[in-house]
Amino acid sequence: MNCQKFENVASELARGQIIDVELRNDALAHSEGCADCAAQLHDEEMLTRGLRSLAVEMNSCEAPAALQTNLLNAFRQQQVVVPMPVRKNYRRYWLAAVAALILVVFSVMAIRLQREVKQVSPPQVALGPQKPGKASEGVSQSPDTGSQISQKELAVSKPQVEKPRRQSSMNPNLAQARLATSRNNKNVASNHASSEVATDFMPIGYLNMESVQDGAQIVRVEVPRTALVKFGLPVNMDRPNERVKADVLLGVDGMAHAIRFVQDRKLQ
Amino acid sequence: MKLQTEPTDAELLRLMLAGDEKSFAMLYQRRQGGIYRFALQMSGSQQIAEDVTHDVFLFLMKDGHVFDPSKGAVSSFLFGVARNYVLRRFRGEHSTVPLHDDDDDPQFDQALDEPGPLEDLTRAETIENVRRAVLSLPERYREVVVLCELQELSYGETAEVLGCAIGTVRSRLHRARSLLLTKLRPERAAEVTTSAAVESARCFA
Repeated sequence: MNCQKFENVASELARGQIIDVELRNDALAHSEGCADCAAQLHDEEMLTRGLRSLAVEMNSCEAPAALQTNLLNAFRQQQVVVPMPVRKNYRRYWLAAVAALILVVFSVMAIRLQREVKQVSPPQVALGPQKPGKASEGVSQSPDTGSQISQKELAVSKPQVEKPRRQSSMNPNLAQARLATSRNNKNVASNHASSEVATDFMPIGYLNMESVQDGAQIVRVEVPRTALVKFGLPVNMDRPNERVKADVLLGVDGMAHAIRFVQDRKLQ
Repeated sequence: MKLQTEPTDAELLRLMLAGDEKSFAMLYQRRQGGIYRFALQMSGSQQIAEDVTHDVFLFLMKDGHVFDPSKGAVSSFLFGVARNYVLRRFRGEHSTVPLHDDDDDPQFDQALDEPGPLEDLTRAETIENVRRAVLSLPERYREVVVLCELQELSYGETAEVLGCAIGTVRSRLHRARSLLLTKLRPERAAEVTTSAAVESARCFA
């Protein structure tokens, strides 16, 4: 062994860390024959002793007892939110998966139910060619009154689910009277319907089908005869100032979407 | 006859994370001294040592599940956390003790100037010199001295704490001890550094 090799192992020799007996004996033998290496080993041993003395002296140093109390209090407070991490993660995944599955099932059921309801009561307003008789069936009140609502067409335009009838608390005689009145009104309406001839509904501007499907109203109005020209209908120019009857189809947005012209059958 | 064995640190940690207060108390009792001393030896400040010990065990409560047994023992894990907190304090406060500026401390200079302090290192008064010398080391050398010499961890355990190779620990410790010798015996170091003859006088045969 030379001094360079000794220098490399001197600190470990002083610390008693060299396990190899042969290497230790070589180093010790070298230090006996070399004054500088012996001095270095002496210094290293002194340093080791000094460090160990320091370690021994500080061995009694501990954190104050109050620190443990504080930490135990913190531990108790935190107990609510310190579950086992691995289990917690798996539980979360499973819960999330089940919740997602339930959501999907419910949404599919809701969509199917909605489609079935739509198929049962499609909100349709006949805008195509109508037979004269059918077109005039829905007029419920006297066309002379100007703005009236055709009850039957209104019922068609508004999709309604049939509600169970409430038990009427009114007098049975009064109820019978009202029923009779309504029957009479229906007869009147049918009489009016048969006495009129109407054109097909003609769209006014852009027809928004959604506003019509959601519910529409037909309003009887009177318009100047010249309005017929705008829809390409023949006009008797001898009587341009006269008014003609028309049914205007109003959507839920309150806009007029279509119009048809009505004429009394007797005037034909 | 029933043989009762002490639970390991890893078992205590597992029970503690499951909410067992006794396990936490036991683990604290077992490890607080080492952590406190490590922080004290690194910083030289009791206040920092207390704060670091507090922070380490608070971290263990909240994030103890990050401990990976395959990477080392619980004690190494705790020393690693403590080291991070100590270094964080150093970065934040630039340390409360003079680490590299021995020249500003007249008491330390006086102690170093006394003839042959290594001769009397076992004496109580010179232990303080060693403590100061350790504190004056650069951080990366100080931590290996504290862990290997004062905490008496093996090279492998120290490497786990520092997150470096064992060879790095050995070389740093070798360099740290050289620095300590230089600090504790300046006149001898001056001889060694200034005189090339000293080097050439040594045998290389």
